[in-house]
Amino acid sequence: MPVVMVLPWPAAQGLLRKCWEQLQRKVRQSRPGFPSLQWGPALAVQGPAILTEPANDTNGSKEISSFLESIFWMAAPQNRRSIEVNRCRRRNPHKLIKVKNNRDISPECGHLKQKHVLCGYCYEKVCKETAEIRRQREKQEGGPFKAPTVETMVLYLGETPSKQDQGKRIIERARKRPSWFTQN
Amino acid sequence: MRLSVAAAISHGRVFRRLGLGPESRIHLLQNLLTGLVRHERIEASWARVDELRGYAEKLIDCGKLGDTNERAMRMADFWLTEKDLIPKLFHVLVPRYQGQNGGYTRMLQIPNRNKQDRAKMAVIEYKGNCLPPLPLPHRDSNLTLLNQLLQGLRKDQEASTHSSHTVQTPEI
Repeated sequence: MPVVMVLPWPAAQGLLRKCWEQLQRKVRQSRPGFPSLQWGPALAVQGPAILTEPANDTNGSKEISSFLESIFWMAAPQNRRSIEVNRCRRRNPHKLIKVKNNRDISPECGHLKQKHVLCGYCYEKVCKETAEIRRQREKQEGGPFKAPTVETMVLYLGETPSKQDQGKRIIERARKRPSWFTQN
Repeated sequence: MRLSVAAAISHGRVFRRLGLGPESRIHLLQNLLTGLVRHERIEASWARVDELRGYAEKLIDCGKLGDTNERAMRMADFWLTEKDLIPKLFHVLVPRYQGQNGGYTRMLQIPNRNKQDRAKMAVIEYKGNCLPPLPLPHRDSNLTLLNQLLQGLRKDQEASTHSSHTVQTPEI
């Protein structure tokens, strides 16, 4: 029966040997008259001698010796990296946090903002007011899917629609007009 | 000539992939467009808003063909999933933009989303809506002191180059 041995990593060698011995024992049990030859692989790859050794040694020494033999195949550093080399790698500009210089001050509120982005505070103000307007609009419409076919306009306390705003649907808001929401 | 196609490189590709596939992308854009027509101001992730902007403008152009046009009605019927917005498109949005030839929408970037993903967000709105105005970036007026000084400097420079040109030409 040809068996191909692949070179396993050190921890699996003990396991593999145990499996092989179990297999041998079972074969001998099933066919007692079978020649109890020491089976070895028909095709062997270069590596440490696993199966030709007798199975009487203690497991610990076998594992240690196989581990010591097989550490030839693992990557490891040759020398300790000095602190100067470490510092060069750790402090390389690509690893440091980059400084942002595209920050600006919003002219209205004075909060910080990025140059190409809207001011967070001013946008939040607008969001809150639009949410209130939309709530009022939903109350006026009364139900879903009732969008009107005329323009809409928002009126605050004490305001009347002007001449060009005739025919628009009006949303009333119960507060005075905010300074940043001009009427035109 | 393209000799090989590397699978994971997308240099120069201009078409975005949104959602679960091309059909899912169209459904996403349908929903976003319906929401935009209903509320006239929408915020979503920047890539989706960028994708939506073209479709929003095309919808207005298609609406300008008129209510009676069969193709226009079919397009509006496909893109607006809530059917009470089809009359709104033809009778509110299109008359608003009768005098313009494009530029019906405005898209601006917002601070990143407050959730864990910190996604890049943008807001898109149809111009001329009734909602409070966004804090748009505007240039300072030409009448500020700094701008007046800069204008004077520009005029002086032009005058000096003009006079040097006129002085040179007789020599030639």
